[in-house]
Amino acid sequence: MAQTTKIREGEIWAVGGGKGGTGKTFITSSVGTYLAKKGKNVVLVDMDIGGANLHSFFGISRPQKSLTSFFEKGASLSDLVVKTDFDNIALITGDIHSIASDKITFSQKLKLFRQIMKLNAQNVVIDLSAGSHNNTLDTFLIADRMIVVLVPEVIAIENVYHFIKNSLFRKVKKTLKEYGFKEIAQHIWDHRQNYGINNLKELIDYLKDSFSYIGTILDHELASFKIHLVLNMVRNNNDILLGASIKSVMMKYLGVPIQYSGYIEYNDAVWKSVREGRPFMLNYMATGCAKQIEIFVENMIKGKDVSLPVGF
Amino acid sequence: MVKDELKKYFEMLELPPDASLRDIHNSYLRLKKLYAGDSIVLAPLGEEFPEKKRKKVLDEIEEAHLKLLAAKKDEPSRTAFLFEDALSPEKASSQPEKAVDLPTTGPSLRKIREKAGVDLSEISKEFKVRIELLKSLEEERFEALPEAIYLKVHLKNYAVFLGLNPAKIIDEYLQRYQAWKKKK
Repeated sequence: MAQTTKIREGEIWAVGGGKGGTGKTFITSSVGTYLAKKGKNVVLVDMDIGGANLHSFFGISRPQKSLTSFFEKGASLSDLVVKTDFDNIALITGDIHSIASDKITFSQKLKLFRQIMKLNAQNVVIDLSAGSHNNTLDTFLIADRMIVVLVPEVIAIENVYHFIKNSLFRKVKKTLKEYGFKEIAQHIWDHRQNYGINNLKELIDYLKDSFSYIGTILDHELASFKIHLVLNMVRNNNDILLGASIKSVMMKYLGVPIQYSGYIEYNDAVWKSVREGRPFMLNYMATGCAKQIEIFVENMIKGKDVSLPVGF
Repeated sequence: MVKDELKKYFEMLELPPDASLRDIHNSYLRLKKLYAGDSIVLAPLGEEFPEKKRKKVLDEIEEAHLKLLAAKKDEPSRTAFLFEDALSPEKASSQPEKAVDLPTTGPSLRKIREKAGVDLSEISKEFKVRIELLKSLEEERFEALPEAIYLKVHLKNYAVFLGLNPAKIIDEYLQRYQAWKKKK
């Protein structure tokens, strides 16, 4: 959509993944802290509407300003940036009280995206809500780097598939809408039996094959649809390998390229760190977890997959 | 083989085009296990990823593995020293097509392995196979070796690890093994 054309230098990263409790906020805060330690000027945005708690990772218990002012009083986003006690990191705290995600109007959403893009930061990292609400997916899709967090459990895997599938479908629909083919993808999907279509990949292939101009458009737009996967709370090598398996299945089943950028081992220090109200990456620098976050971020920047343990 | 075709096979095994023989083998085992087993990664997809499709993926993995092994055997590997003579310019120009004739007996395999600086424990760890079995294999103590169908797999792994062509080794080794069995 025209309103969200890039007008800034910095990069937007978004952290999502469907299931709650997988550690999205921990990852957001740690990735942000690591980038700040590297000298980047970072703003974190807590978009976990209804369940906002990013501020507590930085020892802020009652945020002075929050997104509430943006939605209810029309405050500008740049005025809501709160400094933290830590160098190079500021944040926009989430809405803890009033707003429900589905109360956000379309124009509010566009305004929010425009202002996120104008934030004065080299890196904006957005913490998303659990679930696959359209507002969450749309926020995910404005990011330059789309990060999906997963824990090694069946339900989390199921949710991640759902999240990625819905993001991709949303992206396809939005793309077609921009080019004036608004209803076509939804229409064919709703009547997929008649078309012999079983899944999203087949829908995309059908669209490409049936309308060559749509094929060109989709190829172009979907080339940027690349997801960075991070596996959190792993406990053994088998857990680590799940990431590689998901990458494989997503490619063969959806045709979606996934970068398996990192994994982070389970560590009680994470919970301790939240209680202490200091960023994990500063308090527990020497842990395996902290090293793995660094590797994860560096892999994302370099576009590399994490190396798998040998001898499995 | 055409370069593009090779690229396709590397992609099937989810590897970059400069992957080593070992990467190829690891990826092959990993993917085979994933698509032949009942991984929790596939369970949530249910009928969206039906048996038929899995079968097709498995076939592709097998094909890619074979094609890449065949292509790799012509490349320098950890055992490249075996081919050094054949590859040196003077000799190569006089007998460009001559393949190096490798002996395939247990003791000669051991010599190759030692010269390549590979320890048995590496092979043991890589393929989850007991060191004693590998020793018996090198010493051709047939009575300590498993049935031919399993022996074949061990020989293949051993050869692949050293970057040798498995087909010839399996063939000749098994001939000796079968001869011993008949006599028994």
